[in-house]
Amino acid sequence: MQRPLNRALAGAAALAVALALASTAEAQVGLTSNTATVTLNATKLSTLTVAPSTGTASIASITDNSAANVFSAVSIQTDWNLTAGTSVRLIGWFATPASALANGAAVIPSANVEGGINGGGWTPFTGAAVGGVGVAGGSLQLFSQAVAAATYLGTRTDNLNLRLNLAGFPATTAGLYTGTLNVQAVVQ
Amino acid sequence: MRTRTGKRVRLCLGLLVPAAAVAFGAGEAGAQAGTGSPARIIALAATKTSQLSVIVGSGAVQTIASLTDNAVNSFPAPVVITTSWDVNPGQTNTVNLMAYFTAPAQALVGPSTQIPSSRVLGQMTTGLPVAFTAITQNAVGGVGTAGGSLRLFAQNITGANKKANRTDNLNLQINLTGFPTLAPGFYSGTLNLKAVTQ
Repeated sequence: MQRPLNRALAGAAALAVALALASTAEAQVGLTSNTATVTLNATKLSTLTVAPSTGTASIASITDNSAANVFSAVSIQTDWNLTAGTSVRLIGWFATPASALANGAAVIPSANVEGGINGGGWTPFTGAAVGGVGVAGGSLQLFSQAVAAATYLGTRTDNLNLRLNLAGFPATTAGLYTGTLNVQAVVQ
Repeated sequence: MRTRTGKRVRLCLGLLVPAAAVAFGAGEAGAQAGTGSPARIIALAATKTSQLSVIVGSGAVQTIASLTDNAVNSFPAPVVITTSWDVNPGQTNTVNLMAYFTAPAQALVGPSTQIPSSRVLGQMTTGLPVAFTAITQNAVGGVGTAGGSLRLFAQNITGANKKANRTDNLNLQINLTGFPTLAPGFYSGTLNLKAVTQ
């Protein structure tokens, strides 16, 4: 009477051990670790760029006392990607207005250099700086583009027309006159 | 008369009680001799819990100071990851390390736009993605997310390395080539690292 009971108890115990081991084996398949994390941070800065189509504009032959001294055309692309501001402005300016172009000691001041945008009228580079961009008496705002949240990402391309207006200006000295016109955009 | 009778009774009882005790004891001694008790089984079970852990030794915060549109942007330093395990080789074929984003469409979240996990690339020269690979794989062994995961290594387990660890470098990039221009601002996300046995 006691032996069958003992055998049953032994069998039950063995089964319990087997089940315990089996559950341990199952737990190892698909065992997962803790979750470690890596924080990724990246900043996209606001951008404002100006890209002239050419680095050089020239006049083959200057005509004294004439406004018909037109430089070869320059195309300027302005791109912006902003988070704030109400306008994008493009400024052209000479660092030294009194000698925008020079041929040795002979100079042509910025007052005799005129610019026009997209076929518009001619205006001399005699304005003030805009938003800290430019030089007093040697600057010209070429455009002012209104921007808002919907247009904080934008681009535009403009044709900048340049000429020397030598009407009434003393006869120039023969030679090569060179100068640097800076074009720079600013957000306001 | 009463006194003599009482003495006889006490005498008889005094002789009978020890005799009975001796007889009882003799019977019990006869039952013990040569007889074993029934066997009783005590089941013993002790579990050694398997161990699996992932630690980021350095590079837990990765920063790109200035993202460039339409270009590959590399995070400057690798993430140094140590994976440790103590498993039963009879029940574990591999230890896999997974990297994954919880929301693949928004791996890094910015002010108005998101960078998906398909634009985040990982490279582990000592693991599986020896070249930069987009984090667009599926989960492995239930770890990871569909389309937002990358298996970094699959370490075979044998008796020789049932208890071991390994340290790997994970390099990360954001590839914005051909991606729409990002709005300026701060982009942030969390890359999860988790190991799983198979």
